[in-house]
Amino acid sequence: MKKKQKERLIKLNINNKEYSVLVEDRDTLLEVLRDKLMLTGTKDACGMGECGACTVLLNGKPVLSCIILALEARGKKINTIEGLTEEGTLTDLQKAFIEYGAIQCGYCTPGMLMSATALLNTKIEPTRDEIKKAIEGNICRCTGYNKIIDAIEAVRDRRVKDKNDR
Amino acid sequence: MPIYTSIDRIDAIEKVKGKALYAGDYSMDGMVFAVLVRSQRPHAKIKSIRIDKALELHGVIKILSHGDIPGNPFFGVIKKDQPLLAKDIVRYIGEPILIVIAESEKKAREAAKLIDIEYEDMEIITDPYKSMGSSTLIHEKGNLLSHRKVIKGDVEKGFKESDVVIERQYKTTWLDHAYLETEAGFGYPDDKGRIVVVSSTQNVHYKRKEISRILNIPEEKVRIIQATTGGGFGGKLDLTVEGYIGLAVYHTKRPVLMRYTREESFLSNTKRHPLYINYKTGATKDGKIKAIKVDIIGDTGPYISYGETVCLRAAIHATGPYEIPNVHVDSRMFYTNNPISGAMRGFGVPQIAFAHESQMDLMANEIKIDPLQIRFLNGLRRGSLTATSQLLEASVGYLDTLKAIEPYWIGRIKKDGRGFGLGSMFYGMGNTGISNPSYGILSISEDGKILLYTGACEIGQGSDTVFVQILCETLEIDRNDILLIRADTDFTKDAGSTSASRQTYISGRAVYNAAVEMRKFLENEGFYKNRDLKSIVKKYRDKGFPVFEGFFDPPTTPLDPNTSKGVPYATYAYATHMTEVEVDTITGYTNVIKVHAAHDVGKAINVNNIKGQIYGGIAMGIGFALMEEFIPGKTLSFDNYYIPTSMDMPEIETFILEDEEPTGPFGAKGVGEPALIPQAASIINAIADATGVRVYELPCDIERLKGRL
Repeated sequence: MKKKQKERLIKLNINNKEYSVLVEDRDTLLEVLRDKLMLTGTKDACGMGECGACTVLLNGKPVLSCIILALEARGKKINTIEGLTEEGTLTDLQKAFIEYGAIQCGYCTPGMLMSATALLNTKIEPTRDEIKKAIEGNICRCTGYNKIIDAIEAVRDRRVKDKNDR
Repeated sequence: MPIYTSIDRIDAIEKVKGKALYAGDYSMDGMVFAVLVRSQRPHAKIKSIRIDKALELHGVIKILSHGDIPGNPFFGVIKKDQPLLAKDIVRYIGEPILIVIAESEKKAREAAKLIDIEYEDMEIITDPYKSMGSSTLIHEKGNLLSHRKVIKGDVEKGFKESDVVIERQYKTTWLDHAYLETEAGFGYPDDKGRIVVVSSTQNVHYKRKEISRILNIPEEKVRIIQATTGGGFGGKLDLTVEGYIGLAVYHTKRPVLMRYTREESFLSNTKRHPLYINYKTGATKDGKIKAIKVDIIGDTGPYISYGETVCLRAAIHATGPYEIPNVHVDSRMFYTNNPISGAMRGFGVPQIAFAHESQMDLMANEIKIDPLQIRFLNGLRRGSLTATSQLLEASVGYLDTLKAIEPYWIGRIKKDGRGFGLGSMFYGMGNTGISNPSYGILSISEDGKILLYTGACEIGQGSDTVFVQILCETLEIDRNDILLIRADTDFTKDAGSTSASRQTYISGRAVYNAAVEMRKFLENEGFYKNRDLKSIVKKYRDKGFPVFEGFFDPPTTPLDPNTSKGVPYATYAYATHMTEVEVDTITGYTNVIKVHAAHDVGKAINVNNIKGQIYGGIAMGIGFALMEEFIPGKTLSFDNYYIPTSMDMPEIETFILEDEEPTGPFGAKGVGEPALIPQAASIINAIADATGVRVYELPCDIERLKGRL
């Protein structure tokens, strides 16, 4: 007989909000986000860390939530797609994804946006190749990536321009 | 004006916010989870099944088998030959045998592992050549699924008139759709006792029919709603999770969620058919193609799915976009114990394009004529007769695609290790030689919104947005005045499936036809003299709101069973891609540097969407040419099924050409499959140009190319 998995109550900081949630030790962060907290914006597409659809930010860095345990995220700042939009206002990256046609079926979009957000938060002026590299782990089957790269480049250029204008 | 511009996708905001609801995102109080127990053998008798340990597991509710199906236990898009759950025999690895229903997904998967199935292995048919002569029959009627011919003129005479004859063999392998969202669905019994299934699908109406047959309940007792769908590419045309969910709801009377893991998706979804193609071309020394003789052998797996469709479509498109006076094509599909092959973006045409475009370059090289010139010389144009003797009268933009590419082709500068290749294609819009109609229904709501009811599934390709644009243009209204109700069998009429590049062309035309009727009404009501919709609709409150129905069925004819003579498609799309590659001759690595892609789309309704389709098609073509290979019994994850990433993408320049199709909405045709079809061929031709090595088997991956260099 398999022992019943022990559950424990942990606190997670997600999108600047504290959540208390009962988890089993083996629960991945993705399972907790989607199945326990009903934050279904983060997607599950391979469950093995191979496609990037489940990308969230942990202390600002993109991580694959399907291969890290919820327990590991304790005490860290977790950002998911649901937290990008503040009071209904889209971020410049979200707007650029729409404007540049970077979305088709949309299933890779949350992970893609999280990777792009992390990139532009940590690097002010990434080259096109650096952008490609930053989303290399995010598989998209519909768009052929180029419009996604164009959208990220456009945001980079606008941000640089805004900074220089200031 | 909305047409000819690129309005933003109407579903984009929900998608960037992470709010769009895909089937796996649904939940409901009391929801249970269903998973499948699948065959681990490619061909075997089921001797015994032991489920007692699984049933003892806390949280397991029910385990369903073949015997629990109240109606027809077989399903299939074309013929009902595929068991929903295997009974005595399994015919491929991954074939569903049981459904385990439990309180949680984890429990259901745990229980599935506790089930013991004892098999008695049978002889395995691993390729179509073994299949055709084997005394082991996968089905009683024999191992040949389908044999179609396309015959025009006299090929023997054609070869006699030829100065050069070139004959080669080509081979392609299984490809997986690899949509990011795996198959998923959510079902529940509604308050009227009906069964509702919300799923990731390319066709809701077909799936309602199947569930009604499987459960032996009337169609009106079943409702299918399309969830936001994370890609299809043909793999969500067949019944996937829906039948199992329907059966699980029927037996548990509870909400049920089912979603395939990536491994299950790889095991179960229908693959691109591996085709073995023998292609013989005869031409005169000045470059006129006189005859082709093509023999196509396909591996269709153990069940039909779209095997017959692919068999015929590959044969009809075997000429490529060229007028060839003498044609003989034999196309045959054989059953095997490999994965089921079915619909995948292009229905056999990407495979045959690899062959006909390789032949064009081989011929050009042999008779020393420019590859673009030989295509120009033989290309379809107004007045041409296709291989099925169809007279092409309108919207034949093939030569325009060549003209668009020509300056870049002439101006190309070959650097060391680099090469350029052309690939061309034509592709029939809609289903082959059969009626495939669609409807669009318009009404006005009490609060003055235009309501569009469409049965067409949006799978990411952008049909929702295209329909809204058609309405904006025809009715002179704003997109915010439109409410779109999509792919729900309670509210929409059957639009046919989202496949064969048909929704913009066929459903788009149906929506347009409805809009024309509505416009007449609105004109009478003074809408165009500043009366608003709210006040117009007020007086109809008692007598019922006006409804306008648009219908379109592209004019085709049935094909002659022996020669395929007839009109298989009302119209065709045309394209040419020119690709530049760089090949590392030491490692065998091919880098795709630049693609020029020219497409005759009839009329561009949304330029941004069209470019998106072309870019995505090119990505898939790169995968087809250079890296993708599903290996039965081996491929279970992205770990050994490589699809292109951002690092694999070239620079792309598109040329959108408009030779208007009179029957299309504003002249539009489709572009979804055409975007992919010529890409792999152009890469292989470019590799030949770069290295002098021509590859006849795909994928031309590092190992294969290295071995040849």
